[in-house]
Amino acid sequence: MVRRRSYKRSRKYLVLVTAVLTALFLFLGDRIVRYTSTNEFCYACHAHPHAEESWRKSAHYDNRTGIYVQCTECHLPPPGNLDYLLAKAKHGAHSVYHQIFTDIETVNWEAKRTVEAAVGFTYDESCIKCHQNLFPMQLSSDGQQAHLYYSQNEDELSCLNCHMFTGHYSDLVQEGVQFIVDQDVEREIFTEPSTVKEFEDFTEKIPGTAISFEMVAIEGGVFQMGSPPGEPYRQEDEGPVRDVEISPFFMGRLEVSWDEFLAFYNQTAAEGRQDNVYATNLGEVDAITGPTPPWGLPDQGWGMGARPAITMTWHAADTYCKWLSAITGKTYRLPTEAEWEYAARGGTTGPYFFDGDPRKFSRDRLWNRIFGPDTAVINTYVIYNENSMARTQLPGTVQPNPFGLEHILGNVYEFTGDWYASDTYSMYPEGVVVDPTGPDSGRERVIRGGSFNSDASEVRVAARSHTRHEQWQMTDPQIPKSIWWYTDTREVGFRVVCEWDQDN
Amino acid sequence: MDKKTNTSSRRKFIGDAAAIGALGALGLGAVVSSCNRRPEYTAPVFPVQAPDGPLLKAGVVGCGGRGTGAAINFINAGPNLEITALGDVFQHRLDRCRNELREKQGVEVADENCFVGFDAYKKVIDTDIDIVILCEPPHFRPVSFEYAVQSRKHIFAEKPVGVDPVGIRSVMAAGKMAEAAGLNVAVGTQRRHQRDYVKTFEMVKNGEIGDLVSANCYWNQSKLWHVNRQPGWTDMEYMLRDWVNWQWLSGDHIVEQHVHNIDVVNWFFEKHPVSAVGFGGRHRRPTGDQYDFFSVDFVFDDNRHMHSMCRQIDGCTNNVSEIIFGTKGYTNAQNKIWDYDGNLIWEYQYPLGENGEPTNRVAVSPYDQTHINLVNAIRTGEYLNETQNVSEAVITAMMGRQSAYTGREVTWGEMMESSMDLGPDEYRMGPVDIPPVAPTPGTAPS
Repeated sequence: MVRRRSYKRSRKYLVLVTAVLTALFLFLGDRIVRYTSTNEFCYACHAHPHAEESWRKSAHYDNRTGIYVQCTECHLPPPGNLDYLLAKAKHGAHSVYHQIFTDIETVNWEAKRTVEAAVGFTYDESCIKCHQNLFPMQLSSDGQQAHLYYSQNEDELSCLNCHMFTGHYSDLVQEGVQFIVDQDVEREIFTEPSTVKEFEDFTEKIPGTAISFEMVAIEGGVFQMGSPPGEPYRQEDEGPVRDVEISPFFMGRLEVSWDEFLAFYNQTAAEGRQDNVYATNLGEVDAITGPTPPWGLPDQGWGMGARPAITMTWHAADTYCKWLSAITGKTYRLPTEAEWEYAARGGTTGPYFFDGDPRKFSRDRLWNRIFGPDTAVINTYVIYNENSMARTQLPGTVQPNPFGLEHILGNVYEFTGDWYASDTYSMYPEGVVVDPTGPDSGRERVIRGGSFNSDASEVRVAARSHTRHEQWQMTDPQIPKSIWWYTDTREVGFRVVCEWDQDN
Repeated sequence: MDKKTNTSSRRKFIGDAAAIGALGALGLGAVVSSCNRRPEYTAPVFPVQAPDGPLLKAGVVGCGGRGTGAAINFINAGPNLEITALGDVFQHRLDRCRNELREKQGVEVADENCFVGFDAYKKVIDTDIDIVILCEPPHFRPVSFEYAVQSRKHIFAEKPVGVDPVGIRSVMAAGKMAEAAGLNVAVGTQRRHQRDYVKTFEMVKNGEIGDLVSANCYWNQSKLWHVNRQPGWTDMEYMLRDWVNWQWLSGDHIVEQHVHNIDVVNWFFEKHPVSAVGFGGRHRRPTGDQYDFFSVDFVFDDNRHMHSMCRQIDGCTNNVSEIIFGTKGYTNAQNKIWDYDGNLIWEYQYPLGENGEPTNRVAVSPYDQTHINLVNAIRTGEYLNETQNVSEAVITAMMGRQSAYTGREVTWGEMMESSMDLGPDEYRMGPVDIPPVAPTPGTAPS
């Protein structure tokens, strides 16, 4: 009995003590949480006085209503749940750590004033807690559009995308965020091609369309064409090395896009699927007749637009250049093989226009097949089989070569104007050859640069390849087979050059 | 639908339970019991008449047939409702509406509250009305809609509420402002106020045809109407009188008319498509720059499809309806549900007439019902705002239109970002530099 009473008493006592301690804990905890959330507490450590300065200049301090917003009202989630305490613990620990171990002077505060950084310590939920009505009557029409856009994309957007300097003033002029893009319907239709008076880069405009493309001025010079015997993966047809002089010319900064090629197709397309020629849409007897409709999807379903045009025959590419010449009054053509290699090298002499050993990049070697090739450098410049995801890629995905040409290696094989022969270089005389154009005749054309499907060994600047006309039309079901489209390759496209008339 | 919903509600339940557990661990917990069963959806019960209350005055902007009709629908909605202001761009249109209201409804609108001109909408809204009825050609809706919201008026807006992306986005934003300010907005997609549709939606939402699989919708009808140009008319006057034939005024008939059926499918699917590939053309239309038929394949984000077709040509098979397919059966969305053995498994019970025979009509005309629901919302505080629904239907229809015009796939994102703003820069009776040329697909500049 006694023991039981004592047990009862001690249990009562325990409950009382627990209750008191809990109350104390909650009370103190609450006081601590409150105290550590005051501006003064923040200032006590935060060694960046400009934060307070810029806050006092901002709309969160200086406004008509006289209300000001405290540090933690933006830099923590709204209080009242676990997220709040977790965020508080996280930022608190971060601050303490850096207070002790980091030299505050070395912190790049400007870098923290970017949206990318600021979303890490500024909470949308807290913005919304005060700014509950995103559509007040006073909202400007730009503001309406922006908030409409936000309301449809809340997961991807932060308030900070537009309101970066609301809490801390900045002298940086904040550009208005442009949500409304001009679409196709608004684009200017060019009536005249560009005029070229100086030997400098220019943008060609295709009359009758909204399409333009960039041409790079390539200064003339002498270079060594072909690869030296010691170059890894060198093929016999890449030599002997010859000294070649190239006259100045312009070259497309990019491979011809579907937009450009379809402009040609739309303006010249011939009747029916037959490749014999009846008449043209231009209604002129001597007008150029362009391709018949392709069989199947020439873009492979990868999309057209700015993607390089592919699967046209050499004849189609050559006709494109003639058409482009006719409507621009200039002389466009496919590059000679020598021009192509000169431009691709961009003044360099190695296997690529960037530093690197083909043996490291190629999957050809057993070591690389097991452990994977070293792709860091080549990835920056070339779309090839290691990084292409088995299809052509859009402009802007790699760095250009020293002449400013993009995708000159990889992405798609590019037609040249030359016939292919394995002994082309040895047929050239020794000494400096000026503007060579390859053999006078042949069966297949030279293609250069390798494609999205090529191994690193095949995207070397000196590597040569050629069309396989019959093989590339194996499955064309038409009789006769199209002279305009290949059905069985996806890897070939082209780049144009424009001749420079020095007397002009 | 049953299966999927149960899974997802179970998952949600587990999530809830986890959250509750976490709260409990914090010492803040409460005993919460939850039930794994999805609550049955019950359609709203529409009043047959709006409740009585203080006088509500409405003004009409756009006094054509629909404006006059909407004014009468409004007066019919309940007690103590008045039309006190009228506005139109044409005097003869305003007079006709005013006479109609006088003769049929005994409503006299004072001279000083009748306004003619392109700014009539402002003048109507600036009078002491509570509600504005917007029935001008759809092109003008975004501007008058926003002005009405800014002036704190409740709104009835006839569909479509815009003809181009810029206009419709303005309406969407103004609709959200109206919501923030507690202004009610009813729109003219009246199927959502039609008792048989509403009941069918309830059946479908409760799983009567299973998971929704696909839908077709149609507005195939004879020629609508056109007005031949008369000597002395300016371009503007001619276009306004002939407005259902001009893209910039009507949005073309896929937007202007077929939006009804597209809205029904969006409503039943509880989402909107995200892309469209369509085609259309112009064979028989005497005036304007529109197509007279469209056929569009719409795709939702989960790859379900809605096919839509609309045509305004005489002498062809006509059909204005929707059909929605589920895993267990299909419905015409209006009043019937079938299974795949061809059995009619449910039918809406229409009220009986005086002779005891079914009337095959809903008890309250959906046009009246819309205004009853609007007035009811204003007087009871049961908030109503249909701006988002109708805007999504209009954008869907616009995707289809632009795809047919260009021949290309058009996406929701493109519509939400497009700068397309149809119509002339200024509104006055004079020349309008918009030729009567219909678009040719495949020729849009790229």
